[in-house]
Amino acid sequence: MTRQLRLSVRQLVKRYGTTTVLDGVDLDVAAGSALVIIGPSGSGKSTLLRCIARLEPIAAGTIMLDGKYVASSERYGQAKLVAAHDIGMVFQSFNLFPHLTVLDNLTLAPRRVLGLDRDEAETRAREMLHTVGLAEKAEAYPAKLSGGQQQRAAIARALMMRPRLMLFDEVTSALDPELVGEVLKVMRTLSREGMTMLVVTHEMGFARDVADDVVFMDHGRIVERGPPEQLFAAPQEPRTRAFLSRLLDRDGKE
Amino acid sequence: MGAVFDIDVVVPYLPDLASGLWVTFRLGVISVALGVVLGLLLALARLSGTRLLAWPAYLYIELFRTTPPLVQIIWFYYGLPPLTGIELDPFGAAALALGLNIAAFFAEIFRAGVEAVPATQWQAAKVLGLGRLDTLRSVILPQAARLVLPPTGTTVIYLVKGTALASAIGAPELLRVGQLVALETFRPVEVLTVIAIAYFVLTYPIALAFMALERRVARARA
Repeated sequence: MTRQLRLSVRQLVKRYGTTTVLDGVDLDVAAGSALVIIGPSGSGKSTLLRCIARLEPIAAGTIMLDGKYVASSERYGQAKLVAAHDIGMVFQSFNLFPHLTVLDNLTLAPRRVLGLDRDEAETRAREMLHTVGLAEKAEAYPAKLSGGQQQRAAIARALMMRPRLMLFDEVTSALDPELVGEVLKVMRTLSREGMTMLVVTHEMGFARDVADDVVFMDHGRIVERGPPEQLFAAPQEPRTRAFLSRLLDRDGKE
Repeated sequence: MGAVFDIDVVVPYLPDLASGLWVTFRLGVISVALGVVLGLLLALARLSGTRLLAWPAYLYIELFRTTPPLVQIIWFYYGLPPLTGIELDPFGAAALALGLNIAAFFAEIFRAGVEAVPATQWQAAKVLGLGRLDTLRSVILPQAARLVLPPTGTTVIYLVKGTALASAIGAPELLRVGQLVALETFRPVEVLTVIAIAYFVLTYPIALAFMALERRVARARA
């Protein structure tokens, strides 16, 4: 069974001044699949996510979600523009709103953007908090939560908008090691339930278990893509092999 | 003139001084209200990223914060009528000049507050689909408000004391009344002492109110 195409990125170019950060990226993501992007720092993987989230203007190329434009150097009408909340994003630094309780963090955008009334929004928020294991923290302010709890709240906040694509930008990199598992567990469940996701991470165990495909990026290009068992066991490109062997050697063992 | 410090000579004039204090209070309230509203609009104009809005706001702010408020008050009282035909009584001219003046200072305080909120807060709001105005209203300004509370309190107190400048054009505020009482009693030191106490009685509660406000906001997010 071939799955419907959810996200398509074509010849995406992104520059900061004279530095080319993304150098003609092509990427397809099928609906319901999970893609993990790996690569050395500065390879452009986070920038790719930020372009898809429309946090960065692009220099050239086209990004489409379910046949509607996300961003493009082509001309297109407003009618064919995807709604911002169709793409959810979770950041390394959580970025919860510190002046609002967890519950208000979750209900703000649904009320303002989707037009839900307070009761509808709070009902949806409490269900969402229950699924990420934070039902008891609804009334707490973010500062009172651990990093893992904050990140789970941030994921719940993004899911409130019922996005068609979720972007995860190194969401466990700022966490203490013992808190990483609880966040990855939420992401695993999400993937199993059919969420389409694009995950930039250094968690190779997660990539192995959850990813339908792993993408290796270097110098603003996609070097190699394949199912995790293939890409990790038998990488085709020398650069992928070099990166993976560096990663496996990082505990200093020979 | 007696050589001893005799505060009792002021007692018969306390009702006059009280009415002066009342005028000072009203002058302060009106110019702070004008200053805060206009200051916020100016700050938003400067932050808009649109030159057509940012430039006039920038010019306004620099013009009003680089010229002495006393000059502005006198100018609004004597300069406005021949130029525009708008005639204001001393109270009105002083309230307008002080409000327009302090707006420039509030604008810079508010701008700094908005800019101090991390850009990641704008980004988090954007990926949730929130527009610029919703983000400003519900995400950025509430966080900026906490940051600007201390300098705003200082500026409010500064302005309330600054209303004394209105005495120069004869607005019947506290200092002006005090000057008249001093002339009548030949006791300027005693009168000015009472006036200083009256300013303290007016401004210290403002300081306390801002401190309480800061504590409340700090508690809400701890």
